[in-house]
Amino acid sequence: MAAVYKALSKTANDKDDAPINGVKRNKQRVLILTSRGVTYRHRHLLKDLASMMPHGRVDAKYDQKKRLGELNELAELYNLFVSLKLAKVKFLVSNIHTMEELAFSGNCLKGSRPILSFDKAFDSEPHLQVIKQLFLQIMGVPPLQKRSKPFIDHVLSFSVADGRIFMRVYQVQETEPSKKDGAEEEEAAEEAKKSKSKHAEKHKELDVSLLEIGPRCVLQPIIIQEGSFGGALLYENKHFVSPNQVRADLRRKSASKNNSRAEQSINRHSKMGNLGLRSDGGNQKPMDQLDSRELFA
Amino acid sequence: MGRSQLKTALKAEKGIDLKKLKEKRRLKERTKAKTKRTGSRGGAKIPEDDSDVDEDQEEDDGGAADSEEDDSADEEDAPAIDLAALDESSDDSSVDFEEKIERPKKPKQTKTTDTVPTPKATKKTAEVEHRDEDDEEEEEEEEEEIDWADLPPEEREDLVPRTRISINNTTGLLNTLKRFAIATDDSTTFASHQSLASQEPTADVIGEDLMDDIKRELAFYAQALDAAKRGRTLLKAEGVPFSRPTDYFAEMVKDDGHMEKVKAKLIEEASAKKASAEARKLRDLKKFGKQVQVAKLQERQKAKRETLEKIKTLKRKRSETGGGDLGTHEADLFDVGVDNELNKYNKGLQRGGERGAGGPGAKRQKKNEKFGFGGKKKYSKSGDAASSADLSGFSVKRMKGGAKGKTPKTARLGKSRRKAGAGKR
Repeated sequence: MAAVYKALSKTANDKDDAPINGVKRNKQRVLILTSRGVTYRHRHLLKDLASMMPHGRVDAKYDQKKRLGELNELAELYNLFVSLKLAKVKFLVSNIHTMEELAFSGNCLKGSRPILSFDKAFDSEPHLQVIKQLFLQIMGVPPLQKRSKPFIDHVLSFSVADGRIFMRVYQVQETEPSKKDGAEEEEAAEEAKKSKSKHAEKHKELDVSLLEIGPRCVLQPIIIQEGSFGGALLYENKHFVSPNQVRADLRRKSASKNNSRAEQSINRHSKMGNLGLRSDGGNQKPMDQLDSRELFA
Repeated sequence: MGRSQLKTALKAEKGIDLKKLKEKRRLKERTKAKTKRTGSRGGAKIPEDDSDVDEDQEEDDGGAADSEEDDSADEEDAPAIDLAALDESSDDSSVDFEEKIERPKKPKQTKTTDTVPTPKATKKTAEVEHRDEDDEEEEEEEEEEIDWADLPPEEREDLVPRTRISINNTTGLLNTLKRFAIATDDSTTFASHQSLASQEPTADVIGEDLMDDIKRELAFYAQALDAAKRGRTLLKAEGVPFSRPTDYFAEMVKDDGHMEKVKAKLIEEASAKKASAEARKLRDLKKFGKQVQVAKLQERQKAKRETLEKIKTLKRKRSETGGGDLGTHEADLFDVGVDNELNKYNKGLQRGGERGAGGPGAKRQKKNEKFGFGGKKKYSKSGDAASSADLSGFSVKRMKGGAKGKTPKTARLGKSRRKAGAGKR
């Protein structure tokens, strides 16, 4: 899997939020783009993600993989009120499955705000805390976003396992509970009549279940930098092995097999030469009187 | 490696003494290594590069965060790194910049540090270690698990795990976090961020085996479900509309075409399952039917064998008791009866030799006894009156075209399908 530069330059709107009560308001927009040379799968994953991010702006592929700092200017161009205070996290994205190929039966409103479910492990270590905030601000749809829908019908879940972050998307389904015990039902109905707040009661009764929507992917953090696309290195994943390295190792392993075989054959040849068993080179047997060359000379 | 062997072979041919050469080389190497070690102790070159990197980082940190703790921690880190590099660079070609020296994970390197400790170095590291214990501990925790999930498990063992310069600037991370974090605690409403942390780490729920798909997905599902339930109650409490009314229509993430495809796929899957189950049932039935048929045939065969045996014993008894004494007439009479019985079973088989009802004459019998049974071979296969009168092989049904229906179209499936069937069983 090629590493996808999910060049997610996150921008927090500075103008209204910072000063008043010291509490930052959740109001941001996201620029979504890929580098050149990604495969269809990466493109589809990005499309899926973008469809769930009404606060995102999808842009054309970025031409180069270096000098990503220029993306900041690009974001400014789009009037995204750049105050780039954010850290940058680079991930290796693996095990990508897009919505299309997964064929899950879940579905949700385009642009509804998700409930973000984080693993508890996110609070344990600083770099995970940073990643959590990043996800919170990038994947979470800010309230009162223009294009967002008013109801909530899906959950975005991030879990940490084995040093990787697993992302899953589920639809929230509210269904009538199966009628197991009639007595309780009746009681509940009576209560509902009494309280006259039928709506509230009704909703409480509903069962919640989930249906997966897709896409799925696994993220392995590689580095965390202080600024967006630049700045000091704050964290580097020690366990990260670049896929190129893995590939090279495998190749080298197979090559070593061949090398050892070649060595063996050379050994054998030299040994035979030493024993005088080769017709050319090595220790030659002294010519015998009964040798055919001598006899029929 | 191959090349060197070739060279040795060549030299052997030329007659150069290899051992002497090798010894010389070894001596040279030893002296070189010694000089290297002493040089690196004096003013190491490799560690200098590393410390440069660290200094850069420190500058950045200072500019951004101005935290004194941070800087001091980094300064302490730097010498530790140098020392580690010093120790290991002498005997390992791949220089490993680790902050820590004693590690449980890599026995090879710990050995080297144990056996070849420079007294000065150990002293210093000890000092450093007790100074920044917290950092060290964190490092250790991280290092416990080296994972290679992208590889198939059998290949993972062979590859040497690489560990590199590890940077985990916790204070810096916390500072950046402070700069851009959105409050998710009680100070704000839940609706402003809509994020929830799970009750317990999901990794614990999954357990050891991450490759167990069902268990893993279940853990994720449980985490999400818990969040959904709690989030719903919280949102309800804050008066935010949660569930979509049935008459609210809007664009969905997956459009109708996509959902149609999904549905088609589900239906296809279900129907395929059903079809395969049915096919298997049929196959089983067929197998059972065949068994019944085979059993019947065997039974028939058995019955036949038994009757034949009975006849044989009867015949023998007859010949023993009254073969010679009784008149030929009676014996003949009886023999005829037996022959008839026999003929009923092997009609077609015995032709030629015992042609005709009477059988061979006495002289012929004597001759047969004397010279062994020979008999006439000529015309043995040609038809005669008896054979043409025999209609046992004839059936009206077959003649009328029943045979076609009897042999099934594909009595034997193709090889691939047979194999597939065998796999399923």
